[in-house]
Amino acid sequence: MAKKAKIYSFTIVYSSSEEFKDKVPYVVAVLEENKERFSSFIEGYKEDIEIKIGMEVEFSRFDEAGNVVYKF
Amino acid sequence: MRSVSVLGIGETKMGRWPEKSLRDLIKEAGTKAIQDAGIEKESIQALYMSNFNASYLAYQAHMGPLASEVLGLGNIPTIRIEGACASGSLAFRQGMMAVASGMYDIVLVGGAEKMTHRNTEEVTTGIASAMDFELEAKVGITFPSIFAMIANRYFYEYRNVREEMALCAVNAHHNGSLNPDAQMQKEITVEKVKTGFPIAYPLTVFDCSLVTDGAAFLVLTTTEIAKKISKKRIIEVVGSGHAGDTITIGAKKSITGFASTQLAAKQAYEMAGMKPADIDLCEVHDCFTITQIVNIEDLGFFEKGKGGDAVAEGKIALTGSKPINTSGGLKAKGHPIGATGISQIYEIVTQLRGEAGPRQIKKADIGMNHNIGGTAATCVVNIFKGW
Repeated sequence: MAKKAKIYSFTIVYSSSEEFKDKVPYVVAVLEENKERFSSFIEGYKEDIEIKIGMEVEFSRFDEAGNVVYKF
Repeated sequence: MRSVSVLGIGETKMGRWPEKSLRDLIKEAGTKAIQDAGIEKESIQALYMSNFNASYLAYQAHMGPLASEVLGLGNIPTIRIEGACASGSLAFRQGMMAVASGMYDIVLVGGAEKMTHRNTEEVTTGIASAMDFELEAKVGITFPSIFAMIANRYFYEYRNVREEMALCAVNAHHNGSLNPDAQMQKEITVEKVKTGFPIAYPLTVFDCSLVTDGAAFLVLTTTEIAKKISKKRIIEVVGSGHAGDTITIGAKKSITGFASTQLAAKQAYEMAGMKPADIDLCEVHDCFTITQIVNIEDLGFFEKGKGGDAVAEGKIALTGSKPINTSGGLKAKGHPIGATGISQIYEIVTQLRGEAGPRQIKKADIGMNHNIGGTAATCVVNIFKGW
């Protein structure tokens, strides 16, 4: 697992599915590493963080389903 | 292949109908289409029934026999077709190919969806089954968030079209206000779109298509038979294309142009012997405002990166050079998912027949519908010609 990945695109989610309704607002992104792209939850979103395409995020952990979670 | 024409059309008014069941919606739209075709129901040889999410939202699968029983079609073969939000156009294409092949002379194509009885989180979860649920929905991705990421990437690769996205909604609401079947009957302003409740940055609630109850049906037959029995303008299917792409957003080569749309459109244009300039009007899949801008570029109407300019210049308006979503589209007419593609074709046929009332465009001889499923993982494009 890449320790760092770049944001290919992102959004801040305000309206979620049932499973994530306690987490809004939260950030999800398509990340890019070695020309591979994948989707990830990005932990640690605060309103004062300016998110930009191309910025790096760090690997944080695997979630219960085994999917990667990155952090700002 | 035999030439195929649309003989009859029917749809419900789109909206929030707590008192109407799936059966009620099917009965209303199916009966209208059969009456409009001017045939006896006994002459229908097969039913292609589109539905996306009733298994989840209404615990109802096996939609073919359900619709057949409601419409009194006896023992004819029925099949449910599912391809996410493109289900309707997929069902149309299967029915069209069955008639073209010579297997059947007259078929019924239908679509129905009932959604508004479930809350927003439940609908969001249900719709998320059209993405890769494990790799995407389980990390918090929703469909608005996918298209929000497409918008942000589009801003990065081309330019910020936030204003033009809002103008797409304004155009859709205007057209919807002239369509008695549209769920949204009121005009909207750019300011209201931009300051609406945020769904997924930069999309607000007014950038998103609607949650809708509704049904739409078509009767298809050979052009030869249509010429013999129809009292209305003959509407021939002159082009049709169907292409796919990866289900996940991460695996796509580009997310600011959809390969499935480009390929399906190429097939349809080649089959019809036509080019983008030949299309008088198009119903495009505007699940979100950014999608409309991407679509009108992918279909070849405007250069890549210039779709926003075309919207700002009024080219997509009823009076513009390329009227888009004269019905109000998914944004204002509504998005009853399984019925959406069929309802798009309903609008094209209505316009080509000259029956669109206050939203009728002046020159309506060649029309197109464009319908995508999921993250543009499925796309169907059809071209219709009025004789």
